[in-house]
Amino acid sequence: MKEPEKEGTKEAGNNSTERSEFADIREKLRDALPPVGQLENGAELRRDLWPDMLRRLEQSPVRVPWFDWALLAISGAAAIFFPALIPALAYHL
Amino acid sequence: MNNHPLLRAYLAGIAVPTIFLMIVATVFTLVRYVYNAPIPIERVIVFPMAFVPNLWGLWNVLHAAFFTQGRLSLGIFGCLLPLLLAPLGYFVARMLEFPIPHPIFSLAPIGLPVAMILYYLAWKYLVGSLNAELGIG
Repeated sequence: MKEPEKEGTKEAGNNSTERSEFADIREKLRDALPPVGQLENGAELRRDLWPDMLRRLEQSPVRVPWFDWALLAISGAAAIFFPALIPALAYHL
Repeated sequence: MNNHPLLRAYLAGIAVPTIFLMIVATVFTLVRYVYNAPIPIERVIVFPMAFVPNLWGLWNVLHAAFFTQGRLSLGIFGCLLPLLLAPLGYFVARMLEFPIPHPIFSLAPIGLPVAMILYYLAWKYLVGSLNAELGIG
């Protein structure tokens, strides 16, 4: 009869430890996130993010100058004419 | 985003070679173990896996720390990195007794400028865009 009693006590102990751990985590979460009512403007954002989004959408795509295309073409040609370069370059990239 | 600008620079720097490494490592592994190439690539794989990404990160940190206000653009700064990586890669290969194929030596005068061009483009467009995303420079 003693064994089940011991097991029961152990289980109860585990449960209470778990409960206190949960309570700890709950408390920490509550500290980290203030209640919505206590935020500066309620749950509102500090500023409107939509204009930034529009600006981002209106930004022109990256323009590549002609000499960068030329450089890319030179390196492509080098890789075609000297394929032995490719593993050496891959080793250093 | 105002915190730890150098850490962000490091992360932006290592991102590009880390992505590229996935392709390089796959190709090297296929060549070595599927096509049984008689070149012990595994001896020197540590260089592209460990040295190169870290040096990219540190190079970007160096640029973010000292050259963002100056006239040295990121592309030009990045194209100087092969001047450090090429001798370092050669040193690692020699130290690990990797048999460097002879054509590599004869192609070095072409290979170095090509590496510098590729680095210039990669730093200007890839690292530059990551830096802009992370608010560096």
